[in-house]
Amino acid sequence: MSTARIWKWPLVLAALTVFGLLAALLGQDALWWALSWATLAAPLAVIVICVRRS
Amino acid sequence: MSAKALKAWYRVHKWTSLVCTLFLLLLCLTGLPLIFTEEIDVLTGATVEPSEAAPGAPAVGIDRLVEDARQRRPGDKVLYVSRDLDAPAWFVGLGKSTSTPDPSAVFKYDAHSGAMIQDIPQRQGLMFTIRALHVDLFAGLPGTLFIGAVGLFFLVSMVSGIVLYAPFMRKLTFGTVRAAKAPRVRWLDLHNLLGIATAAWLLVVAVTGVINTLTLPLLGLWQSTELADMTQAWRGRPPPSTLSSAQRATETARQAAPGMDVAFVAFPGTVFTTSHHYMVFMRGDTALTSRLLKPVMIDAETGTLTDSRSLPWYLTVILLSQPLHFGDYGGMPLKIIWALFDLVAIGVLGSGLYLWLARRRTSIETQLAELEGLAS
Repeated sequence: MSTARIWKWPLVLAALTVFGLLAALLGQDALWWALSWATLAAPLAVIVICVRRS
Repeated sequence: MSAKALKAWYRVHKWTSLVCTLFLLLLCLTGLPLIFTEEIDVLTGATVEPSEAAPGAPAVGIDRLVEDARQRRPGDKVLYVSRDLDAPAWFVGLGKSTSTPDPSAVFKYDAHSGAMIQDIPQRQGLMFTIRALHVDLFAGLPGTLFIGAVGLFFLVSMVSGIVLYAPFMRKLTFGTVRAAKAPRVRWLDLHNLLGIATAAWLLVVAVTGVINTLTLPLLGLWQSTELADMTQAWRGRPPPSTLSSAQRATETARQAAPGMDVAFVAFPGTVFTTSHHYMVFMRGDTALTSRLLKPVMIDAETGTLTDSRSLPWYLTVILLSQPLHFGDYGGMPLKIIWALFDLVAIGVLGSGLYLWLARRRTSIETQLAELEGLAS
């Protein structure tokens, strides 16, 4: 499998995580907190989906 | 990746992981309840909240609280007055001497009534034990630095694990967990999935954790450089015979740092100031700036402003590392997310440990070829 294929999902999840970590710290209102929760929950949701699929 | 490089990275991953895994398990297990420290303290009665005050009710000045605390422990010195982040309450910390880092007593006061509402137990209780196991293993600064070193090993282990992820995934689609195969293969897939999906969180918490272990040495650096510079003119001067009002010091500090509020007041003679000054640490009012502090130095004899500077970059880094390590900056959902990531981290450590315990005496190349054979 190509390098791009291997790293696509890990990079997407890392970007969502970093966004989520910063959103709650830098954001001023409830919307940013909600965005933070949603993006940080993504890696956890992906784990659950992959494990259930197996 | 060449076979030689792969072997080297594998060795780095194995050995750095083996060095730190058991300590990391301890950190993950103790970290779990620490995420919910405030909630646990409220539930167990370890925290007493001030009573609801009428909207706009006037607050009492901190001088009254300081006086009350002094009367409760006449032999002790006041170290600091600090403000509760979440509730209208103040803490007054006292020590056997002003130079001690460990308070002998901390009293909590209702900011509106001025009543002492709690004599907070020091260095005891289950949460104290859990925190000590997480922060210094009951060994003070050497213990903390040891945990920082464990964190460094973990960082190398993480980086090498990420490097190894690619060759192991060459013939697999993302997130494959081969359930039908041998347990070792299943655990390897799980180890790779859990580790790579949470890699960014693990790296951030590890880096900020390592940074937090440097708090005391960096405070020491600030004291011996910038603080020493701010206080140079007062070196050797005797402490004032009577201290000016601490409340007035906070008011002067508010004028010197508009838009900011008092986080804590270090009393003269303590480690964050001179024997001649109050150091009032001000904080901002946004999620970000409330984490940052600005020290304002107030003459404890005349009550006038002496100096005010921003903290150096390395202390700002420490202050910003705290929320990113604790996960306490986004409400209860963020704390729950933090706890779930922590559980995944335990899964990464546990599966890694299993893989090592269930290892076979075959070379990495053979194992890798075997895994790829299984996949194709």
